[in-house]
Amino acid sequence: MPATEYQGSFLGRISIRRNQVIAMDGNHEQELEDLEHFQKHVSDRFSELLSPPPEDVHADALLSISWLRKLLDVFLCCDAEFKAILLMGRDPSQISKPPLDRLIPELLERAVKALDLCNAVTNGVESIRHCQRLAEIVVSALENKPIGDGQAKRAKKALTSLLSAMNLDDKEGTNTKTAERSWSFGRRGASKERAPVRSLSYQVAKNWSAAKQIQAMANNLVAPRGNEASGLASPVYIMSAVLVFVMWALVAAIPCQERNGLATHFPVPKQLSWAHSMIGLQDKIGDEWKKKEKKGMAGLLEEMQKLEKLGQSLIEFTDSYQYPGETEKVEEAAAQVAELAETCRRMEEGLVPLQMQIREVFHRIVRSRAEFLDVLDQESSATEGVVKQTKAFLM
Amino acid sequence: MDDGESAIPTYEGDLHVVAAAHHIVKALGATKNLSHDLRKILVDLDAHLSRITLNIDSKRGRGLFDVEDRLKQAERKIVSWESDPMMIWDSGPGEASEYLEAVDEIQTVIDGLRGLSVNGNRKQKELLHAESVLQMAMSRLEEELVHILIQHRQQFEPKYMSSRSVRRDVVYDESFVSIEDESPETSRRNCNSDESGECIVDLVHAHVIPHIKSIAKVMFTSGYGQEFCEAFIGVRKEALEQYFAILEMGKLSIEDVLNMEWASMSSEMHKWTWSMKIIFRVYLASEKRLCDQVLGDFGSVNPFCFLEISKSTILCLLNFGEAITMGPHQPEKVLRLLDMYETLADLLLSIDTLFSEEASSFVRIDFHELLDRLGGSAIAAFKAFCLAVSSNKSALPFPGGSVHPLNKYVMNFMRLFPEYCSTLNLLLKDQNADANPVPEPEYGQNISPSTSCPMACHLRSITSALESNLHKKSKLYKEEALQHVFLMNNIHYIVQKVKGSELRLFFGDEWIRKHNAKFQQHATNYERATWSSILSLLKDDNPGSSSMSKSTFRERCKGFSVAFEEGHQDHCAVHGNGKELRS
Repeated sequence: MPATEYQGSFLGRISIRRNQVIAMDGNHEQELEDLEHFQKHVSDRFSELLSPPPEDVHADALLSISWLRKLLDVFLCCDAEFKAILLMGRDPSQISKPPLDRLIPELLERAVKALDLCNAVTNGVESIRHCQRLAEIVVSALENKPIGDGQAKRAKKALTSLLSAMNLDDKEGTNTKTAERSWSFGRRGASKERAPVRSLSYQVAKNWSAAKQIQAMANNLVAPRGNEASGLASPVYIMSAVLVFVMWALVAAIPCQERNGLATHFPVPKQLSWAHSMIGLQDKIGDEWKKKEKKGMAGLLEEMQKLEKLGQSLIEFTDSYQYPGETEKVEEAAAQVAELAETCRRMEEGLVPLQMQIREVFHRIVRSRAEFLDVLDQESSATEGVVKQTKAFLM
Repeated sequence: MDDGESAIPTYEGDLHVVAAAHHIVKALGATKNLSHDLRKILVDLDAHLSRITLNIDSKRGRGLFDVEDRLKQAERKIVSWESDPMMIWDSGPGEASEYLEAVDEIQTVIDGLRGLSVNGNRKQKELLHAESVLQMAMSRLEEELVHILIQHRQQFEPKYMSSRSVRRDVVYDESFVSIEDESPETSRRNCNSDESGECIVDLVHAHVIPHIKSIAKVMFTSGYGQEFCEAFIGVRKEALEQYFAILEMGKLSIEDVLNMEWASMSSEMHKWTWSMKIIFRVYLASEKRLCDQVLGDFGSVNPFCFLEISKSTILCLLNFGEAITMGPHQPEKVLRLLDMYETLADLLLSIDTLFSEEASSFVRIDFHELLDRLGGSAIAAFKAFCLAVSSNKSALPFPGGSVHPLNKYVMNFMRLFPEYCSTLNLLLKDQNADANPVPEPEYGQNISPSTSCPMACHLRSITSALESNLHKKSKLYKEEALQHVFLMNNIHYIVQKVKGSELRLFFGDEWIRKHNAKFQQHATNYERATWSSILSLLKDDNPGSSSMSKSTFRERCKGFSVAFEEGHQDHCAVHGNGKELRS
């Protein structure tokens, strides 16, 4: 009904507006419902990660391999839902209106940083697998009884490599060969051909820092306020926060280049109901990080923590061991070796699937980013009419 | 003496087992067609069984004393090397084989002792003693292994493959305008005739391979295979990473790649294609052979070690490729993207062969996916190129009316497409399912495969778009004559470029004829436009009247010569290429 027909009538104009408002509300209601669902799902998923249901007997310890795998699953679910809300059946022009015209590109920049972090973490898993294999040598050496001096020495050698591998992993550059490498027990003094220190920093540029990337990702993460909070800015913020949290947790767990100065919390406002569990997890992990940071460690991954603890205890044992050894100590060591074997088994089962999952997350982020860019591109070419690419063509 | 004598019945049993095994081995050894490796295994087994027999025999006679004695002798050998600063394998072949024999002896003693069904403190003590000596030896062997691998590493020059690639860099200069007169020869790629095969080199000097193998055998037999692998992987992985660093592919994050400006990106993409070829065809093929030689007898350990050695380098190459496919697909990237696509397509077979195991399936999958994405990116850039040609806008008329820089850029760029003909056709055909249909060939007659292929159709539509654009630009000139001169010059340029390169095969004679005709048309129009106004000055207003006044006539002549001068000057100022234009 054209407005002109009712121009004369005041009541007519009001009824037009009301129709319009009702029409908008219809969509708006659906949208609010979707947003609520999204928030609830996010909240539920993180709540399960924080405190799994009591009937779950084999609950995964925080930051264990299986917990991380669950975390990545949570991410994939959130991403799928997020895209459904923002892209499916929606007029693309809404994505390029304020405030999304600023928020979406920011999210996409975070996505790129997340990709680099995925790669760094994948690299880190490689070094963890190396540690796993060293631990398996220790198990081979010590699992047969009685333990001979030879086997004890063998275990000690592997343990020394293990512990130095754990301490080296965080350092930048391939030139830090400070730790005593067990390739040679220094017999030939400054032997020129020491076998190389296994460094991770090969793949990444010298001054790249995981901690700085996380910081940059979190820098402009600001919760929408007022009117914006009821619109699409809200799910964008939620997804951004989820992305930052997941990357942060991965970096905290898995050794990758330069994690010094990793932030231990992000300013997610406590009044956001969906964020309670996430904030709870942040606090827990952040506390652990602060505790261990001073000692210097190889990541908060639960299995690595075990390896470190058991490794340190067993290296003392093997150092002072002489056949047949004290019964108590031998029994204690046996129990530790069994625990070590169990940890290695879990690593053997879980690390490669974890890497595959990180890869999946990587590809998913690439895809989602491409989808958003497509939508944004369509919008910009519709409005501007000139393809940006022409800049290359002189003039 | 006490332990030995009471165990005599067991010795009998043991002897029977060993004799039976020995019999089987001898029977197998008599088989005619045994592979060299298998025969060697049987020979070793034969020797080992003989030793066990001797061992048992002697034990039967003298019990543990003999064992202790042999152990002492071997131990002496091994301990004597502990304090020696020299490396065993540097000290001559005799030393090395003696050392290995000593290790073998210890292992035999351990086997024998374990085989003794009697338990007792003395046996236990001897066993643990032997294991201790064994561990010492294993530790030493690990060092020797690392030493050998590092000492006898062979460097091969990556440069031997580089010469062919240098030429192409000239062509990928942004300033296409400056090389327009270069003959097509310099821009042609090398025939890739020697790229089909792999090139295997010795990464470690061939003469030390047997040494490494003998160390491997001893370490694996003694249950120290894990240590061997860790040492081997460590050294080989580092060697690969150092080599990769020589290739100077920067350690780039995805963020770096996405923010790169074109000149650096072009150079990195070029380095990537080159690195991919060298790493897969030469280095990894050679590394695989080395692993096969050293670890071939040990089952799945072989592919495992190979994967561990090569993983981080492969992921680096993969990562760069993926980062490139994420970026905006600007038109100037199209040629480099096609290069990357073709390089990877050529290498897929090598990749599949090198990483054929289940555990390394992700390598095959990821590179296959990367190929698809590179294809998509290349086509996107190609289409962006087409689009950019039509949407390039000018505000002012191009001074002088000569060949427009857009024309030069586009035509010089297009000259290079025919080299990628088969790839472009393949990719464009796949895309045909999409919304944008391939433009139909305009010229019905004389269709040959080359003029009707998808690439040819697209190229012709690019030139159409270029022509339309040039027409639009010509309208910016106020004078009709200049409009025609401009179009004349530019169409002439296009036709020359097509005729003078492989493009003529794809555009066809028909197209060339028609465009020559267009050029002629504009030439005619130009003449008419320029001279008609001048000629009109000579026209008699009153054709019927017999005379014109003298003054009018003089005026007209003056006007004519002035106009003629001006017209002539303009004509000279607006010059085109080639003699044809001036005639």
